Amino acid sequence: MWAYIFRRLIYNVPVFLGILLFVFAALRVNDPVWMYLGKGATQEQYETKKKEFGLDRSYPVQYFELLGDVVTLNFDQKSWGQEGLTVGELLGSSIKPSLAITVPALFLTSIISICVGLISSFFRGGKVDKTLVILAVLGMSISFLVYIILGQYFGAYKILKETGASPFAISGYEPGIGNWAHYCLLPVMISVIVAMGYDTRFYRAVMVEETTRDYIVTAQAKGASRRKILFVHMLKNAMIPIITRIMITLPFLIAGSILLEMYFTIPGMGRTLITAINDKDFPVIQVFTAMFAALFILSNILTDVLYALVDPRVRLS
Amino acid sequence: MIKKFLRSRGLRKLLSNRLAIAALGVIGLYTGIGFAVFLGAITEKDTEARVWTDSYPGYPHHQTAEKRLDNCEVILSRVMRVLETEGELSEVAFAERSVSDASIEELTQKVQAGLALYEEIADTVGSLNDNPEVLPRIEQLEGFVDDVYTPLTGWSSLVYDFRLFFGTDRQGRSILIRGIYSIKVAIQVGVVVALIAVLFGSVLGAAAAFFGGWVDHLVIWLYSTFSSIPHLVLLTLLAFMFLGHPLETTLIPLYVAFCLTFWIGPCRVIRGEALKIKELEYVQAATAVGFGRFTILWKHILPNTSHLMFINFSLLFIGAIKSEVILTFLGLGIKDGASWGIMISQSQAEVLNGFFWQIGVATALMVGLVLAFNILTDALQDAFDPKHV
Repeated sequence: MWAYIFRRLIYNVPVFLGILLFVFAALRVNDPVWMYLGKGATQEQYETKKKEFGLDRSYPVQYFELLGDVVTLNFDQKSWGQEGLTVGELLGSSIKPSLAITVPALFLTSIISICVGLISSFFRGGKVDKTLVILAVLGMSISFLVYIILGQYFGAYKILKETGASPFAISGYEPGIGNWAHYCLLPVMISVIVAMGYDTRFYRAVMVEETTRDYIVTAQAKGASRRKILFVHMLKNAMIPIITRIMITLPFLIAGSILLEMYFTIPGMGRTLITAINDKDFPVIQVFTAMFAALFILSNILTDVLYALVDPRVRLS
Repeated sequence: MIKKFLRSRGLRKLLSNRLAIAALGVIGLYTGIGFAVFLGAITEKDTEARVWTDSYPGYPHHQTAEKRLDNCEVILSRVMRVLETEGELSEVAFAERSVSDASIEELTQKVQAGLALYEEIADTVGSLNDNPEVLPRIEQLEGFVDDVYTPLTGWSSLVYDFRLFFGTDRQGRSILIRGIYSIKVAIQVGVVVALIAVLFGSVLGAAAAFFGGWVDHLVIWLYSTFSSIPHLVLLTLLAFMFLGHPLETTLIPLYVAFCLTFWIGPCRVIRGEALKIKELEYVQAATAVGFGRFTILWKHILPNTSHLMFINFSLLFIGAIKSEVILTFLGLGIKDGASWGIMISQSQAEVLNGFFWQIGVATALMVGLVLAFNILTDALQDAFDPKHV
């Protein structure tokens, strides 16, 4: 098992180096210092700024410095956009709000859509199944942004306007578990509704595929009830595609939370990144994209390990 | 190859699916409209043209007595200002209606009478909206506006009604015209991105599988690298590359960002399929006959993955349209003209005031196209790749 994990880690090293190289190059296509200072700056200001951040050194030196910073988690570079803050402080303060949305959303989406997928495949071909499939396809065809705009209007704004009570905040964020429902529940619900369309369809297809397997016939032959076949035999065997799916949705959740954070002004990683892009805040963009990629690779490795735990055949290949 | 495709079992299965035919019909309709716009039926100038005064979103569907009154006042006092300063009357033409040719004295008289009537109505005590007695007087006031401006007749009045069909946005522009123009933008983005990404991905994937060795390693490294950056982060990073560039206002940054992100899917799928095809007997036969490696790749392997290309084209088309909306909202997508992304992003403020026309029209048009493509993708998958989960 450990050998397998080690192999996966080694395999992902060139991938991570490649990502860093890409991020590194993409941010230097347009000279970041000129972009930050604007066209009105003098040559002298430009040189000073460049020197201050070590951007005047050769590219390999800069690349390895970035690599070193990311690997040793050394983020004390100063942010250009937000005075007096380092990248590390920004990262530290923005991870929690992001997780406060992403983790519950992932959890709820998976549980609800696996259940709906099971129900759908249980009533396969019937009215319930057809309705659910149509709803899922329809839901998938509407833009995420529309869900957010309408969700905020009907979920927060309208209730506040008509009753004066405010169960959900229109926007903003406060740390603490007590405040979670007020600020995060509405974005989480929107996120769940959007992801449901995709996930339900996928889980239904997985379950339907499983119903054609031989072990189902065996179970039927020995007289197991339909319910037992569905929830005990099938669910267990469908674990691999389910795990893959949950892990595959991770980057979509990060992406989705960028939009939610922007709209509900929640100071998470996504919002910080977009603000940094608007401010041409080069050090923050560089580190944040690298960290997003690192998190993603870690989740990939985790997926592979979970695979190996669930299905021993994987370890041998 | 085309003959073979026309006789294939998959196509017959696809054509026997009524839903798929309906979806194809809808896509055809959208493409037709998009093409008409492309040929110049609606230009970008038309999408910017004002059909009503600004800050009255939802005209003519959300009309209250108070709003109608304000509207008349805005229009009349604008004409008055020009009359007083002896400016050009053509300057106050709006919504294709020009000021009537009546003499200056006559116009001044009418405008003054209208403004006087406005003052009178505005002085009415209490809420105007609940007062039925005010309505005939407002109609009288609107009569003055119609007197000052030449009425539209015949074709141009039909066109004007058409443009007001779904009302106006906050800048007084026609929502329907903007929505229709966006069809062209969406189809353009979808076709360009899906075509380039699918071709690029397929060729790379097939080549990786066929040649193996370092080519395969390189391609795998390339797509695991690109797919390890979350989709939206990669898109924003690529869009950032073009900030401040002269090409920024064109669609090119969007194309580059989408193509570099979307080629991974088809590449992965077609590499897998080509690995299987490579071992088949007809490929071995072709090698034995002495065909070159590139000929085999181009003529024998790639055409046999065409069903996967169709499915991926359809998937990427949807992806491009939906990502456009999100990138535009983040300020990194389309900047000029009209698109569903711009419309939906701009409708934020309108929704908070209870106007749903703009977001409704953009969403309805978008759902029509995306839903048709979703149904088509499913049907294609059923017909050509039935084993896919």
